[in-house]
Amino acid sequence: MTALLQVKDIAHHFEGLHVLKGVSFAVAERSVTGLIGPNGAGKSTLFNIISGFLRPTSGQVLYLGKTITNLSIQRRSYAGLVRTFQTPQVFSELTVRENLIAGCYKQGHTGFVKSLLSLPEVRTEFAEAARLADQTCIEFGLDAVRDQIAGRLPTGQQRLVELARAAIGKPRLLCLDEPSSGLGSEEVAHLMDILRQLNNAGITILLVSHDMELMAVSTIIHVLCFGEIIATGGMFEVRAEPRVREAYLGV
Amino acid sequence: MRAKLTGPQRRLLGWLCSVLLIAAWAAIPLLAGRSTVDLFVFAALYAIAGLGVAFLLGQCGIVSLAQNVFFGIGAYSTAYGATALGWPAPASMITGMAISGCIAAVVGTPVLKLSGYFLALATLALAIIGHVLFLEWEWLTGGTLGIGGVPPLSLFGYPFNTPLRFYYLVWPIVLIVILIHRNVLDSRTGIAMRAMRDAPSAAAVLGVNIARLKEKVFISSAILGSFAGSLFAHYVSFVSVDSFGVDRSINFLLIAVLGGARTIAGPILGALFVTALPNLLSRLGDIHAMLFAAFLIAAVIFLPGGLGGAIGRFWETFAGPSRSAQSLTARRGS
Amino acid sequence: MTITLLLQSILAGLTNGFVYGLIGLGIAIVFRGARIINAMQGDFALLGSVVAYVSLTRFHLPMLPAFLVGVIAGGVLGFLVERFLIRPTEERAGTEDSYLLVTLGGAFAASAAVLLYFGRDSYVLSGVGGDSSINVFDAAIRVHAVWLIIISSLVVTGLKLFYSYTRLGQAMLAASIDVNGSLTIGINVPLMRTLTFVAGGLMGGLAGVLVAPLINIHYEMGLLLTLKGFAAAILGGLTSPLGAVFGGVTLGLVESLAVVAVSSGYKDVIAMAILILIMIVMPQGLLGRRGRRGG
Repeated sequence: MTALLQVKDIAHHFEGLHVLKGVSFAVAERSVTGLIGPNGAGKSTLFNIISGFLRPTSGQVLYLGKTITNLSIQRRSYAGLVRTFQTPQVFSELTVRENLIAGCYKQGHTGFVKSLLSLPEVRTEFAEAARLADQTCIEFGLDAVRDQIAGRLPTGQQRLVELARAAIGKPRLLCLDEPSSGLGSEEVAHLMDILRQLNNAGITILLVSHDMELMAVSTIIHVLCFGEIIATGGMFEVRAEPRVREAYLGV
Repeated sequence: MRAKLTGPQRRLLGWLCSVLLIAAWAAIPLLAGRSTVDLFVFAALYAIAGLGVAFLLGQCGIVSLAQNVFFGIGAYSTAYGATALGWPAPASMITGMAISGCIAAVVGTPVLKLSGYFLALATLALAIIGHVLFLEWEWLTGGTLGIGGVPPLSLFGYPFNTPLRFYYLVWPIVLIVILIHRNVLDSRTGIAMRAMRDAPSAAAVLGVNIARLKEKVFISSAILGSFAGSLFAHYVSFVSVDSFGVDRSINFLLIAVLGGARTIAGPILGALFVTALPNLLSRLGDIHAMLFAAFLIAAVIFLPGGLGGAIGRFWETFAGPSRSAQSLTARRGS
Repeated sequence: MTITLLLQSILAGLTNGFVYGLIGLGIAIVFRGARIINAMQGDFALLGSVVAYVSLTRFHLPMLPAFLVGVIAGGVLGFLVERFLIRPTEERAGTEDSYLLVTLGGAFAASAAVLLYFGRDSYVLSGVGGDSSINVFDAAIRVHAVWLIIISSLVVTGLKLFYSYTRLGQAMLAASIDVNGSLTIGINVPLMRTLTFVAGGLMGGLAGVLVAPLINIHYEMGLLLTLKGFAAAILGGLTSPLGAVFGGVTLGLVESLAVVAVSSGYKDVIAMAILILIMIVMPQGLLGRRGRRGG
């Protein structure tokens, strides 16, 4: 399997603090790769660097072999790299359906001027996206709340909306930031099911979390601690590592 | 009363209300005096510019206080073009819109990258710059003396030189602007705009070029302001710098906020209010400025959706929620 | 350009600069204490000066008490703004936009109130030392302006000491940085907030009372002062009162010197252009301090 994403010697510091100290790892295509670590380990920083929200002090990020370290968020998105957020960032004043339609943005072509004139192609494109959105609602179990304002839904459902919205655009690499925070154990199990389904459909998943239970869905796990990767392997290997146990005591 | 109607019933009611509204609109000049018609014309002109501000605020969450500049550019282009250059009206008008669009593009690119307070205060700074330049560039604007003798607008030889005629010209224009706005909403761009307003990071992740979209909306808003300014110049035939100060921008903002920036037609109500109030209170001197400020504050605190939003809510309790974003009364968030 | 002219510009710029600095200081205090940008700061100054004027002319108070009344009026206004504009907005889950619109509305209301009361004319407030000036190498600076600079400097120093060394000052800072933490250790956060606005109001009133004798009291001066004060505050890093004064002086000097080259009618254009430039190019200020959102 080829590496879809490669992180090479990423180091990052700001305000005198070395948040990341030379992190390297690869995400294989069609895998579910987990990045786990206690709070303060640098996961968010690394995640923001991978998804384009931050430029590292040094090091490189490669996607499909090409350097994307300084590529804009939008260009990464068009290349198939999509992320979610720790606090679900649904479009709070739009309905669930409209949120999913927004997820189809990349597949569309019509621009501002054409929209002003309401040309037929604008309407066709919109109807097509709406159809896809309705279908995706059913797949994700959101059909019941399809026409509700997304901002008023409980956190668990908002996460689902965000996930569905990210998935509808058929990303190549789906990066999830603490997707289980705020979810009850039943919802976490449901989330894990969905992730498996998405992976089976061909989407590579990069999962960042401090939740060990969620990590069971990963095929490979990297453990990040104080800005360095201290262990790599499957779930049980990693759990058995003495350094990992040390890091997690007291978490 | 919580009577919910079915789809066809609601559409019928909607049509009925629309027809009544149009009939009332058509009848006003026949029943009311010249000064009332005059008022309604100004309301329409301000509504067009106000719709630009509302669009920017409601769809992008941008507070722009610079609309006075573009309104002024449109007015002075028409005035200067007609009196000093002898250009035909459409040429001056389009030139004004082009200038406004260019300035919006040039200034907008760096300024729109700012967010929140910084952006709003930057637009306020622009408003002041524009106002001072209108004052100082006497060779173009006539300074405090202004430019007089702007000919009335004529189409195919038919001059719109009375309030009555202008009334029947501008209000359909307002309707067209509203329809265009409506068109944008249920489109890829429309969704992208609202997404950008609600969660810019998430919108960026979906591929939306935030900076470019903001610029496009800003440019459209400026062009609309300029267009309104040109019409204004044709109507009043004498333009002076007093009409294009910061208080003009405040009026436009009030129209947007009070009318409901997120509704499509709300700003019309805002415009009617802003135009009618000073007139009704003219006996009390300059008190309307104070009241405008009070209403702005009250609207922000108590009526976040503006008058349009309130009416939309009323409609919904009576007729049930609207499924289509294109419904004129659809409440998209308060 | 003669030395005298240059010197005159510098003196004028210095004087104006301290005024902008005082306004900016008020903005910094409020931002530091409540994380809100007060678009009404210049209007605090306007109303402070109006109250002082009325006290002097209508109620015939001596100069110093009249000035004091003006300053206190600013503080009272700050209290009212917090109570009746900010708090209701907060209670209704205001967004950043809401606070902006509300304080802008307040600014317009203040301006409109002065318009209603005073009309469109300008009014002159007499200053310390009347119209007399001191000569510095052939350039003149009004006695009142010198007092302005001295008082401003004292106030800034006092504030620095207040925030750094007194319990109340530190409590006010804590309340803005970490609400929950402050509540836990018994700080009355709502009260701290109110005090912040009162402090901002007092600063505004002081600025108004100090500047009014040098320019004319006019119903439109509030907003312009606010913007220039805002520029000063940004240059200073937005959270530092001392920085705001430095920023103000910088702005005043640049504005003054630029006006020598261009006609004085463009003075405000230059200041506004500088503001926009600052926001775009160096939003963290000259000193590059953190702790600011937006921009």
